[in-house]
Amino acid sequence: MAIQAQQARPGHLVSYPRFLWRSLVMATDGSLAFYAWMTMLTAVALVGANAWANQVASGMIVTNMTDHVSWGLYIANFTFMVGVAAGGVMMVIPGYLYRNKEMHDVVIIGELLAIAAIVMCLLFVTVDLGRPDRFWHLIPGLGRFNFPISMLTWDVIVLNGYLLLNLHICGYLLYIRYLGKKPEPRWYVPFVMISIVWAVSIHTVTAFLFSGLGGRPFWKSALLAPQFLASAFVAGPAFLILTMFILRRIGGVVISDRPIQLLVQIIRVTVLINLLMLCSKLFTEFYTGGAYSKHAIYLFFGWEGHNALVPWIWTAIVFNLIAAVLFLLPAAMRSVRVVSIACVLAFVGLWIEKGMGLIVPGFVPSTLSEMVEYVPNLTEWQVSAGIWAFGLMIYTVALKIAIPIMRGEERFIAPVEVADDTPHEPPADQPPAGEASATDQTQADPPERDSGGESGRSP
Amino acid sequence: MSDSDKRTISLPVLGEVSRRTALKAGGATLGLAAFAAAVSPLAGLRGRLSAQELMQRHYKELSADDKAKIFERLENEAKERYGADVKIKDPKAIPGVRYGYAINLSVCNGNGACMEACHRENNHDRSTNQSYIRVFEMPIGTTDFKHGDSTYTHDVPREGKYYLPVQCFQCENPPCVDVCPVEATWQEEDGIVVVDYNWCIGCRYCQAACPYHARRFNWKEPQIPAEEVNPDQGYLSNRIRPAGVVEKCHFCLHRTREGRQPACLEACPTGARIFGNLLDPESEIRTVLRTKRVFVLKEELGARPTLFYFFD
Amino acid sequence: MMRGRVLIPIVVLAALLMSIGLVRIMAGAGASPRSEFLAATMSTETVPDETPRWLVEISLPDGPPRVVTDRVDSMGRAVTVSCASCHSNFDANTSRRSADEPPMAFHQGLTFQHGNLSCVTCHNPDDYNALRLADGTRIEYRQVMESCAQCHAPQARDYERGLHGGMTGFWDRTKGPQKRKSCIDCHDPHAPKFPSMTPTFKPLDRFLEPTRPGD
Repeated sequence: MAIQAQQARPGHLVSYPRFLWRSLVMATDGSLAFYAWMTMLTAVALVGANAWANQVASGMIVTNMTDHVSWGLYIANFTFMVGVAAGGVMMVIPGYLYRNKEMHDVVIIGELLAIAAIVMCLLFVTVDLGRPDRFWHLIPGLGRFNFPISMLTWDVIVLNGYLLLNLHICGYLLYIRYLGKKPEPRWYVPFVMISIVWAVSIHTVTAFLFSGLGGRPFWKSALLAPQFLASAFVAGPAFLILTMFILRRIGGVVISDRPIQLLVQIIRVTVLINLLMLCSKLFTEFYTGGAYSKHAIYLFFGWEGHNALVPWIWTAIVFNLIAAVLFLLPAAMRSVRVVSIACVLAFVGLWIEKGMGLIVPGFVPSTLSEMVEYVPNLTEWQVSAGIWAFGLMIYTVALKIAIPIMRGEERFIAPVEVADDTPHEPPADQPPAGEASATDQTQADPPERDSGGESGRSP
Repeated sequence: MSDSDKRTISLPVLGEVSRRTALKAGGATLGLAAFAAAVSPLAGLRGRLSAQELMQRHYKELSADDKAKIFERLENEAKERYGADVKIKDPKAIPGVRYGYAINLSVCNGNGACMEACHRENNHDRSTNQSYIRVFEMPIGTTDFKHGDSTYTHDVPREGKYYLPVQCFQCENPPCVDVCPVEATWQEEDGIVVVDYNWCIGCRYCQAACPYHARRFNWKEPQIPAEEVNPDQGYLSNRIRPAGVVEKCHFCLHRTREGRQPACLEACPTGARIFGNLLDPESEIRTVLRTKRVFVLKEELGARPTLFYFFD
Repeated sequence: MMRGRVLIPIVVLAALLMSIGLVRIMAGAGASPRSEFLAATMSTETVPDETPRWLVEISLPDGPPRVVTDRVDSMGRAVTVSCASCHSNFDANTSRRSADEPPMAFHQGLTFQHGNLSCVTCHNPDDYNALRLADGTRIEYRQVMESCAQCHAPQARDYERGLHGGMTGFWDRTKGPQKRKSCIDCHDPHAPKFPSMTPTFKPLDRFLEPTRPGD
């Protein structure tokens, strides 16, 4: 965004505020369905905000976390959402690196998902803080930033960096398209390339948060980072496929089969890599056994009568296996139904596997082998659902702004007196009312599908 | 259509005030009001969270003057919230001292007096019986905590068991310090790993990093009856902690830096605990290391604890 | 052309990422699991220290104890007498051994479980206001630890080094005194086994269910 300011000519002083204003208008205009959807999300987000406010006021005793299991649902969601954010890159790579035309047209769906997911990550970390009022201690320059020793500082950098990169890329492309101009590669291609590497880094660094802890054998595995990436490249594309289906099915948005098929093909590889890594992990945990395997034993089979996580992990395994089979079926290239089911199963399966199935067993049994189990309580579910709702609001609004602009339906018309190099042709057909509402529904829907998945996950 | 025509030439801030815009503004106001209502429980923090506290700098950046003011504020808060007259001091590490601790497992009988002494000395929350020490009953023949139990209530010692008190080992290479993103915990010159309770953001990464379950989180504000508050308090040690921050054993630095023994040692009825200066070759702790076959827990992790165990 | 230019930041970033890993690994490799303090105990360096030190106070009996009898005074309290008040008239039963039949009336509440000792192993039959060593040397009650040390040499040695027995006060005796318990503060000389105790305090962990199977 700063770059746009640098290159600002008199025209931008008018057109950029205009762009922002139109974005706001587009974000808030919509059909009844859109308003209903946003109202519902707002309600859920407010419930979450209220639960969080209570948590801050009464202390984190209102959660089910303990000194034994000191991270729970929040960090589980955080870890998973980092993967979803990184997964968007699987559209960016073919879109930009391999000049895949069809993918290039829809790549912004992936980039916007990254933005929404990262915002959710930051919120999940924030609600996990015991002292959110001291958040500023984490800001380099203001607080004391334990860089480069603490992996968490690396995570702060890469997550915010990724957010800024994607904000810049999306902001630049949308603004230029809004002006009706052709984007200049030098203003976005280098950032896209960096964002590709950066996407890998956010999930690698997040894995290092855990695998760098010598006292937690369940996490201290060289496989953790690759495993995180493999699962991210399943979950992210799966969510994007669902989004595109919904955008397409509700109408208004023309998306060819090619990008979806490409994503399915990508998932066909990554889902198998993920399963292979899971098998490898299971073998090392269970073949020799020993004290360090107790977490895996607890997770998969229970330990001395404690088996809170057993149903979770087996659900995840079954979902992931079914999803893998469905993706590998030839029908996955044709059938919307097969792919949709596969995507939902994979998304939910990985959410469990990387959330409750990864964070919690790292703490159970404790470092002194005490058995304190963890199941999230209502407060934690409320706060988490609130953050999901807020993330979906961001994604909905972002898509709602981005799609008409990318489709050329929303254009800047220069006021006559400040006309310079902006195109003078009348606006590309203003979307007729009917189409606009169709688009609204389009955007209203993808999250809907997802929220179905979410409530499906809630016990 | 006329709407959109107007729109294209009007300046953004002077956009038409249509019914829709008015509705949107109304919706936004309603939303904001609902949000304000949703986060209204935060109002309960008013009066508990002063501006000075919010803006307070890291311990290492405080001048003597700053500290004096902060200590006074904390003493006033203790009076206000707990009804106790306390004195907060800030003893510095003694040059040439590096603390070590040893526990004689042949002698320890698991009575738990150390836990209780810690609880009282360090102004722990009464409702959770919080303590920096956990004593495990272990079957003779193993050091695997899988077989251990910290919840026993029967008379001790029991046949075939030995007792293993665990607390912060003040590791030479503390994994908990490395992971802290805001340097709220660090190792002092005398080896004690301390926490600035007014700087910790409560992310609990250090709890995840500690291999010994030595760190505790203040899940709520501690409750202590006024008459039970220990008024002899150190800023980096046993002052009453705020909610939402991590704490840990600090070898009673408010005592030990004045040359006194830690509270758990004085309370031990069996004399199982030996404390002293590792840099003094004549000290008791060095004699333990020289003459006893000592071991540390999870030595393979490389954290290098400075609390040692031995059997006679 | 374009790709060449964008490759550079990618390579730089990748190198940066790899360097994190390397730094972490090297930091780990440098750390020896063996404590430097353990190594230091092998060296012979000594630090000359002339700072005056406070004394170690050991709580020792002032004199002969009083024996509880089966008589009670007008207030209902047990009457205590000095050993000599009876034993100047009675000869001691020198054949009585530890853990034999219950003690006689004058030694109310006395449990005698101390190896295979007899009363006069420690008590001096020639002077009931004193003790005696194995070689017959008379010692005062204040010197009781010498008596203990005859058999319990390892404990006595550890005690001397400060490794045995409870204490309070100062670890740093340049700053203040240390108070140490004597043998008989913790070990009843007639039944020296440390008594069984009931734990009074347990942390109340949420969700930590008490105890393990079989206990």
